[in-house]
Amino acid sequence: MRKLLLTSLVILSLSSCLKESIADAMLEEQKSANQGGSPAVATMTYVINGNTVTNSVSDPDSQSPTYYQLGCSKTLYPGTNNSIYSLDCVSTSGEFTFTFGTDSLTVGNYLYTGISGDLFVLSYNNTDEFVHVPTDSISFNVTSYSKGHISGNFSGRLTPMISAGNPDNTYGTPGSVLITKGSFKDVPVFY
Amino acid sequence: MSVLLFIVVRGEAQLGVMKMVGNNTGDYSFGFGAFIKGIFPVSPASDLTLELGANFFPLNDGGIGSGSAFVPIKVGYRYFLNGTDRGIYVEPQVGYNIYGVTSQIVEGYNKDFIFHGFVFAAGTGYLFDIGTVPLDLNLHYETIFAHGGSDNYISLGLTYHILFGKREEY
Repeated sequence: MRKLLLTSLVILSLSSCLKESIADAMLEEQKSANQGGSPAVATMTYVINGNTVTNSVSDPDSQSPTYYQLGCSKTLYPGTNNSIYSLDCVSTSGEFTFTFGTDSLTVGNYLYTGISGDLFVLSYNNTDEFVHVPTDSISFNVTSYSKGHISGNFSGRLTPMISAGNPDNTYGTPGSVLITKGSFKDVPVFY
Repeated sequence: MSVLLFIVVRGEAQLGVMKMVGNNTGDYSFGFGAFIKGIFPVSPASDLTLELGANFFPLNDGGIGSGSAFVPIKVGYRYFLNGTDRGIYVEPQVGYNIYGVTSQIVEGYNKDFIFHGFVFAAGTGYLFDIGTVPLDLNLHYETIFAHGGSDNYISLGLTYHILFGKREEY
């Protein structure tokens, strides 16, 4: 009986000496796994009204989680306690952004249409393009989400904003901006 | 079920209050848990035990996170120090956590980690009667190993005995 008690106390004492909680240990495992599969480059390309835009970032995981050129970050939707994911790309031709309206990003299709209201999607050569009229839309397919990186494709139909005014903005021809052949690969997801 | 009742001559049910201890447990409030236990007497002063528990520890983080929960199943050896089946006892246990989830705030967000892992526990208690009702006031220290880390907690519980038979029959 004494040996049994002694063995139990030794095991408990040793286990208590582990420096990390289970959550800390699992978080470290995930970080190590992500680093082991770190891609050399992340890319985003699309065609806007026949003009190809290509963006690539070397060593994308080394970017700042709060200030990056190409990445996807989980943030709180302003004014709420709900989380969203924002995919952003900043390039010389302008900015591109898409909001995944979910607090748990998974492989699947994410569609936003003009029925839900205006949504800024990108700026191209100093013109901002919006989902504006009900027939406008932007559709993202996340085809892969592995080791903290997403890949997929997208397309859309947008309306250009001619000028921002108060109280009303002025828009150009509805649905005149076509986004085709959109793809993104190995974009890091930051928490 | 009939086989289980035939073998188990006594059972216990407990509600208890618990506290996570160790590294990074400052955000945890007091937890609570329950277990049911089968008791298999092997001598007048000792039992083998089989215990299934469920323990929950809420995070005191303003509502962002949910906390930790464990569902351990353990076998143990309970030994009464005075040679009878009442009084002070000690009880080492070993088992497996069949389901565990623990929350961690990562970059301001709550993230859940699901795990299993081996469980080790050591406990002591005092088994006594109030009238004809046997009660067990006990203190346990328990640790769960998983993924190179451990979660540890202390529990203080009051156990109610459910009698299916008499010790003398064994």
